[in-house]
Amino acid sequence: MNDHRRHLDRALDSEAIWPLMVGFSALYLAFFVGYPVIYNLMMSVQEVTLANIGTVIRPFVGLDNYWKLIDDPLFPIVFQNTLFFVIGNVVLQFLGGLALALFFQQPFPGASFFRGLILAGWILPPLVIGAVWKWLLASDNGVINYALRGLGLVSGPIYWISDPATSLVGVTLANIWFGVPFNMILLAAGLASLPQDMYEAAALDGAGSIRRFFALTLPMLRPTMYALLALSTIYTMRAFDLIWTMTHGGPVDSSNIFPVWSYHLSFELFDFGGGAAVSTMMLVVVFLVALIYVRSVRAERLS
Amino acid sequence: MRRWLLTSIATIIAGFYLFPVYWMYVSALKVSDELNASPPTLIPHAPTLAAFRWIFERENIGQFMTNSVIQSASVTALTLVLATGAAYSLARKKSLWMDAVLVGVMLSQVLPPPLLVTPMFVIFRQLGLINTQLAVILATTTKTLPFAIIMLRTTFAQVPVDLEDAARVDGSSRTVAFLRVTLPLARVGYIVVGALVFLLAYGEFVYPVSLLNKKALQPATVGLYGFVGADYSDWGNAMAFAAVFVTPVIIVFMLLQRRIVSGLTAGALK
Repeated sequence: MNDHRRHLDRALDSEAIWPLMVGFSALYLAFFVGYPVIYNLMMSVQEVTLANIGTVIRPFVGLDNYWKLIDDPLFPIVFQNTLFFVIGNVVLQFLGGLALALFFQQPFPGASFFRGLILAGWILPPLVIGAVWKWLLASDNGVINYALRGLGLVSGPIYWISDPATSLVGVTLANIWFGVPFNMILLAAGLASLPQDMYEAAALDGAGSIRRFFALTLPMLRPTMYALLALSTIYTMRAFDLIWTMTHGGPVDSSNIFPVWSYHLSFELFDFGGGAAVSTMMLVVVFLVALIYVRSVRAERLS
Repeated sequence: MRRWLLTSIATIIAGFYLFPVYWMYVSALKVSDELNASPPTLIPHAPTLAAFRWIFERENIGQFMTNSVIQSASVTALTLVLATGAAYSLARKKSLWMDAVLVGVMLSQVLPPPLLVTPMFVIFRQLGLINTQLAVILATTTKTLPFAIIMLRTTFAQVPVDLEDAARVDGSSRTVAFLRVTLPLARVGYIVVGALVFLLAYGEFVYPVSLLNKKALQPATVGLYGFVGADYSDWGNAMAFAAVFVTPVIIVFMLLQRRIVSGLTAGALK
């Protein structure tokens, strides 16, 4: 018994243990993430129907699925919507997060307490955020319409999510609300790590606070900013749950973005090849952004 | 004086920001006449628990919540077991291979579930796992595992190697040194990562809605979707459902708030 124990200890102490310990996770991710990515690529060049979904050997159609998508009149609409949604979210979440981070950086009683409270928005499941915002934006009894009317900004109700002209704005607002705290917390960490002595020197030289912000804070914050912008682009492209709950991509595809389109093709029209082709196009974009993220994080670690 | 002025501005900002959460709770407590009243009432005049009774008796929220807890607890256990070895190795062993694995883990973290769900559905169908909780657990773990590895790796990296070496000089094996020295020091990291993984899994929607069509197996996210996905107008009941579902999340967050904030910033940027 004792002998076995010693053998085990020696095995665990050997150098061979490292690849083994990483191995379980690596295999898991290879099978449940790597394999689906490759499988997706394969389906995107095949004709996949409900009838042949059980096998792997299916008619090869080359890039037909891709051409069909690009010729689809929906493609430019979904493309525009995705661009609007991603840019609107990334920019406004960043600006909101930066404003809050700068505000809470000032020393006052309760600063970290209130900052922590605001982070609560980020921890909520997207399904709940979608449900609550759908109710806030309701046209008849929604509290947002009531507030806008009370302030005299609009005369009649806005049909936020049932009107094709505003549905995309509605879901974007909800997602900005969700993303601001995450931006705030990462920017606050970035701000806290900046060297204070440079600010003192600049203040002695007579630089005002606005001057100090543009000449010192922004340039020094750049590594954090790159990592954060890449991360929020990636997170925004996952905003499927929220849109699916609030609008289903509608009305008439006015809030349809690529992940929603992909899901709609696969799970509602059973056009698995088309859904896979949309996914693959998105994956390429996400991978490129992810490489920027990985590079900027690693550059920061080395510096 | 100026400092207290800032505190009151902060109170207004936080109140304004958290208004949607407040509105969820008060809407759940209103009778339907008051829910549709114009102007809306900020504080319910006649608070009632009728909506809560309705979702427990008629919507069977208990079953949904049980499934949510079973699935997220299993995901958390599986994630932490798998992540421990990988995170520890990645923190301690430097080599080209380890670097490659780390980049792979970071890249797998960024893949959006809605884009992975099509091939996963097909693969799980071929494995005969559609309509099992196991499929949801395995699929959700792909989302939580990379996150846990990256976060725990930072935690282990903060435990000084010297302490482990000292224990090993005293004659204990690497396993004993890990269990007696490293693990206790990484305790806080485990609590934060465990809580965040649980919350991520608890809020997961795409995988269960695609892999399960038996109502008896579905988690509360799918139940809530059934409520508000359509043109639903019974907002009192919908908000009660959302409130019951999300209150545990808010409690966990309040308890661990400080630690989550510091863990998040360390894990995401380093």
